[in-house]
Amino acid sequence: MNKKIKIITMLLTALLVIGLVGCGKTTPTESTTDTPGEDTPVGTTDEFEKIAFIVADMANESQAFASKQFQQYAKDYNFEVVILDAKGDAQAETQAVKNAIAQGVKAIFVNPNDINAIIPALTEAKQVGIVVGMFSSDLPADKTDARDFFVGVNDNMAGEAAAQAFLNKFPDGANIVEIGGQSGHDAQIKRHDGFNNIISGTNINVIDFKATNTWSTAEAMAIMEDMIVKNGDEIDGVFCHWDNGATGVIQALMAADMKDVFVVGVDGCRAGFNQVTSGDQSVTIMQNFTTMTQKSLEMARKVIDGEAVEQQNFVPLDIVDIGNIDTFTAPEW
Amino acid sequence: MSEQLNGKKIIQIIFSEYLVLVGIAMLVLVTAILEPKFLSPQNLNNVMRQFGPLIMVALGMTFVIIGGFIDLSVAGMLSLIAVVTISLIEPLGQVPALLIGLCLGAFCGYLNSVLVVISGAMTQAEALFITYGMSVVYGGLALIFSGGSTKQMSGIKADTSLFKEIGSGNIGILSVSFVMFLGILVLLYVFQNKTFMGRAICLTGGNKTAAKLAGIPINRSIAFIYTISGFMTALGAIVLFSRVTTASPVIGKGYETNAILAVVVGGTTLVGGKGSVLRTVLGTLLVILMSNCLNLLGVSVYMQYIMKGAILILAIWLDNRKQL
Repeated sequence: MNKKIKIITMLLTALLVIGLVGCGKTTPTESTTDTPGEDTPVGTTDEFEKIAFIVADMANESQAFASKQFQQYAKDYNFEVVILDAKGDAQAETQAVKNAIAQGVKAIFVNPNDINAIIPALTEAKQVGIVVGMFSSDLPADKTDARDFFVGVNDNMAGEAAAQAFLNKFPDGANIVEIGGQSGHDAQIKRHDGFNNIISGTNINVIDFKATNTWSTAEAMAIMEDMIVKNGDEIDGVFCHWDNGATGVIQALMAADMKDVFVVGVDGCRAGFNQVTSGDQSVTIMQNFTTMTQKSLEMARKVIDGEAVEQQNFVPLDIVDIGNIDTFTAPEW
Repeated sequence: MSEQLNGKKIIQIIFSEYLVLVGIAMLVLVTAILEPKFLSPQNLNNVMRQFGPLIMVALGMTFVIIGGFIDLSVAGMLSLIAVVTISLIEPLGQVPALLIGLCLGAFCGYLNSVLVVISGAMTQAEALFITYGMSVVYGGLALIFSGGSTKQMSGIKADTSLFKEIGSGNIGILSVSFVMFLGILVLLYVFQNKTFMGRAICLTGGNKTAAKLAGIPINRSIAFIYTISGFMTALGAIVLFSRVTTASPVIGKGYETNAILAVVVGGTTLVGGKGSVLRTVLGTLLVILMSNCLNLLGVSVYMQYIMKGAILILAIWLDNRKQL
């Protein structure tokens, strides 16, 4: 057994080392920007003002990518960023805001798990003079005094843009199905609402809709397979709320030998780009996290410097198809 | 009176031992009436493919539960194995990537068993916390390895390839993943019923102290239990990403609960010592059919949550009644 203890100690040590090395590079629970290089503004790290980006869940790849963007661009605005991961837990996110307050940060950017539960902690942050920026999801309309500004995309508009893509493609009408993102998730609800606001009353019939348990490709694929069984060749198009889900949709369509179905996804991630390029996916509605990050940092810098800023900042969505995909930079995530 | 008692007894036996079969029959009957396309060859083919990843994980979990333990690490482990294996296809080739994935699964499972043994975790509750901890570790490693992004199956240029066959190929009317399952089921059934270690695992789960006194190598049983679970999780990961052609670092989320649900609903007792891989097949079929049927009938995902929870509670309640 002593031998086993030695082995296990070595293995756990190895795991720890791998974890620490990895955390320094990519997806930390808490990490800071690298020390500035030669091309950074003159000065030492001490001259950078500390800010915190509180991620709803680092396991969500768009948020992991956004955290990398914060680390990459913070120094351009004389900031040093601390990344805090709430791991999908509203209570942990509240605690993360309090930790950021304790660390004396100048500004916090929050991608909320629960837009209502986070309000007391944000109010506390504002009371001690910290600039509060909402990232990607905004607070409820009657609670916006708990933040200084919001930067993000309008998920209603993402749904509307998807609907418009179907209207453009099928002027004479069509039967389509909708596969929603995680049930109850803010983005899923808004994409669904935006989509249906535009589609209802037109000659595009949504013949089936189903949301998923999680943003799971396998689940999207299983739902699409079941929809194909139920509706078969009647399906002219599919609106899937996220590009990685569309990967599963495409696999299901291929297995059923349905080649001409018009597939629209949201995100503009690498999978979506690859699928549009290969012709498997028709359109991806792209949210630009780099622009979103830069805009957030710019807003925070202005507020700290005493300038007035716009409270609500929607970053435009790009509609990417095979005709214009070459004009966009392929995303890293 | 005697006949009435016998009739009552038969009904009791059916409900306590074969409720899962009753559930499957009712589900099939109701769905086939309301949605005749349910029995179409295309849908049966879909069910067969959707069955693949979960049954692999659930078969491994069966041995863990029969042995009187639990394994929550399968969620993180499945994610880790999927992102590692899919990433290795391009640089190493398909067969080496496949073998490394399987070995990684067996290694992670063995690592779990070592932790369980050296920490002296001899109860299900203790094993639950240790394997939950390992799930977080494996999940974290999956995130680090993938950089938080979804990995796509690339580097396979040929139309016919090992992973494409596993994911979407057929052998006759059966999918490749289903044929794999049948082969593995036979092996595991023989292992459980015809080998010393298979019986040792049952005895370990039944009563650890008595098993130890009877000369059963408890620690070796635990090593087998978790290594099998790890290996089967690796097979599940490979079938899953071959099917969807991508692997996200959280692809295994929910597999631990669905696998436990399948095992318990199938009739393997949670207290350990009794159970069968054949029962798990029925449990998994019920879980997969439930999703398939409710999707075809247009029932919302919220209702699916409620039904899954209710079925699990019912299965545990019946299991407890059997122990009395």
